[in-house]
Amino acid sequence: MPADSPDKVIDRSAKLVFSFFLSSAGLWLLMAALLAYLAAAKLTDPFFLSSYEFLTYGKIKVAQANAFVYGWGGNSIFAVSLWILARLSQAEVRGSVFLVFAGVIWNLAITFGLLGIMDGHMSGHEMLEMPTEVWPAMLISYLIITFLALVIHRSRQVRETIAPQWFILAALLWFPALFLIAWNGLEINPARGTLQTVLSMWYGQSLVWLWLTPVALGAAYYLIPAILGRTIDKYYLAIFGFWCIAALAPWSVVHHLEGGPVPMWIPAVGTVMSIAMVFPIAVASTNFHATAFMDIGKVWHSLPLRFVIFGTLSYTISSYIGVVFSLPAVAKITQFTIINEFHFNQRVYGFFSMIIFGAVYFALPRITGREIPKAAKSFHFWTSTLGVLMLLLAYLIGGLTHGVLAGQPSLPWSSSVIHSIQPYFLITKFAFIILAFSQFVFVVNVWRIIFPNPFVYFSAENKEASV
Amino acid sequence: MNNLAKFTIGIFFTLGMAWLAFVVGARSQFGDLVPTSEVLDDDGSVPEDAELFPVDISGMAKQGAEEYAALGCVTCHTQQVRRVEAGFDVERGWGKRPSAPRDYVLQEHVLLGNSRIGPDLANVGLRNYSDEWLHQHLFEPQSIFPSSLCPPSPFLYQLVDEPVYSDIGIAPKNNMDKNRTVRPSIRANRLVAYLQALKQDYELPEVSFIETEEELVEEEVISSAGGEAPKWLQDQIDTGKEIYMKAAPGGGMCFACHQQNGEGLAGQFPPLAGSDWVLGNKERLIKISMYGLMGEIEVNGVKYNNVMAPPGIPPGSLTNEQIANVLTYIRNDWGNSASAVSAEEVATVRASLKGRAPMQMFTSAELTTPIQ
Repeated sequence: MPADSPDKVIDRSAKLVFSFFLSSAGLWLLMAALLAYLAAAKLTDPFFLSSYEFLTYGKIKVAQANAFVYGWGGNSIFAVSLWILARLSQAEVRGSVFLVFAGVIWNLAITFGLLGIMDGHMSGHEMLEMPTEVWPAMLISYLIITFLALVIHRSRQVRETIAPQWFILAALLWFPALFLIAWNGLEINPARGTLQTVLSMWYGQSLVWLWLTPVALGAAYYLIPAILGRTIDKYYLAIFGFWCIAALAPWSVVHHLEGGPVPMWIPAVGTVMSIAMVFPIAVASTNFHATAFMDIGKVWHSLPLRFVIFGTLSYTISSYIGVVFSLPAVAKITQFTIINEFHFNQRVYGFFSMIIFGAVYFALPRITGREIPKAAKSFHFWTSTLGVLMLLLAYLIGGLTHGVLAGQPSLPWSSSVIHSIQPYFLITKFAFIILAFSQFVFVVNVWRIIFPNPFVYFSAENKEASV
Repeated sequence: MNNLAKFTIGIFFTLGMAWLAFVVGARSQFGDLVPTSEVLDDDGSVPEDAELFPVDISGMAKQGAEEYAALGCVTCHTQQVRRVEAGFDVERGWGKRPSAPRDYVLQEHVLLGNSRIGPDLANVGLRNYSDEWLHQHLFEPQSIFPSSLCPPSPFLYQLVDEPVYSDIGIAPKNNMDKNRTVRPSIRANRLVAYLQALKQDYELPEVSFIETEEELVEEEVISSAGGEAPKWLQDQIDTGKEIYMKAAPGGGMCFACHQQNGEGLAGQFPPLAGSDWVLGNKERLIKISMYGLMGEIEVNGVKYNNVMAPPGIPPGSLTNEQIANVLTYIRNDWGNSASAVSAEEVATVRASLKGRAPMQMFTSAELTTPIQ
């Protein structure tokens, strides 16, 4: 029997953990898609399922965001981060049992959290709506996973670290810090008055900027050179981009409080730092796209890379749009409109999820030795693209309409302002249906690869081990 | 970058700077705000015996805040009036002044929100909605605002056969249930108590009321004053005039008493031309057009004492749209010029009067003293 290559050994060590986190992530993705459809349908017909209290709009909208960020986002972050860290460290994943155990706790905590939201125990803090009872379970399981990820990193063969490692490690470490700060300021030593809002908004927005975003950027920094077989162009800028995000992003997120009942310096600082964010955005964009455009044919023919480049392009464009929308003159129109939905969906669907899809399509065949049919992957890519573009355009144009009409005090609210944006809600409903189909195909294929024959999975595993 | 400990210190340092500012710094700056009086003494102290604001809301309203949070109302409703330079909130009539941090210090759940698919609710308690109106809106928002996207909450109500005094006169959509009335649950009552308690109707040393020119602006935009009226307004005035003059079903036969020239008859019927009642508060006018008026009334300083049956043939039969049109007409002819009345406004008033017996005419006293 020939000796396996080191990568093979590492992939095999990651197989159980990767499969577990990815298959749970898939289920959460479908759950979020279902909830997103229900929420969108309720905005086109308020009477749709209106007699069920647990399905009222306010609850499922919040449940959807939580299922997406913690369920799909959290699990896929664990899967992708552990595997990339193991690959880059040339070290095996250890403590799989503990990782799976922690993962089960994490998933149970989110499940109970969502049930709690639907049962009327929502906390009202942005992105921390799950009842406080599940917060300890989330934090502990997260810390176990992060600890084992750090163990992999510490046992690396090469001392030198590179960009994907910085981004992924920083994201893994920032989350518990943010979580503890928010927990302390909102529940343990609760702040009074609008300080609560400053903190919960800071947490909610930072979660996207300091948790989802760096993992996706790290994955892109790993995948683009790995697939293209060339180094990142102007790689020396990456370190500057990394520290810019680390230093600016936590400040920039509070510009959403513009004009509100908080001291004026808070949104003002946020606006200035948002504008300064053009530097890290430009760095990431240069690194990714200058590299990719050297060999654009290969990008087109490699499906994982197509997903990744879609994500990085989306990141660049929308981040610049975000900078423009943070300017006070523009924020006056766009604040509080459905442009917020544009930002959120763009980050989590158009950028984060697309890059994760690319990473999964790259990693899955290497880890399991089985390939997803090309037609299914292609279908997934095109329907995702169509769905995401429809969704984002509807929210963008609808949001501008919303803002401009709302700014005219003579127009009555529901019969004029809201009535005018209803067609856009209809478009988002169709976009969510398309995305749900797309994600269904993705998840079914992932599950079929991970469990080719569900009933003999464990016995096959044993056979492999005994050979 | 290669040493994990140094790297960790670095990334926590950058995060810690923002934490110092937004959490520690902000807390030391405005974390200890307390209620204060509307105006401070010259030396900056609170005058003795002055009333302190904000005031704490009732226990019932606090429980309502829990319901508000649990139902996720904050997903679509903000509770913050932005500063004038940052938005249109005061112009829209969502508050008399921008909200200040001090307004929120007594609230357990601070639900500022960041999305407005529904209107801002920081001052919903100041909008003179009756409890019945709010219940009706919670039960089925679309019965008041047909294009509202607010989710109906029938689960907060019960349908009952035998009405009792606490029931509200809502006709459920379903024809089968036409004869039943809707009884609010305790949760619905808490929610309404909370909504009625949401008001920032006091000034603070750091923020005072803003005099809006909203009324004036509105007059200019949507009344016939100053030249050509827009087509929709002209249509409303024309249809209104027909109703005013019509003495058959669908008409109001108003001219019979108030005369074609709107001057009324001295000593018997008050004039409409230049009348302080016609050009003033719309709600009173709408009420009179639905239920009529009896007893003594003072118009432009002259007293009249007569009976005005509910307009319409048969009496009291004018629809919301007809009332809107005829009122818009009398506010915009004979030299009158005031803002138009919309069918929606009439619907709002009608909903607030649910339960009032038909033909129960108003009195001048009832219309001029605010009902508590």
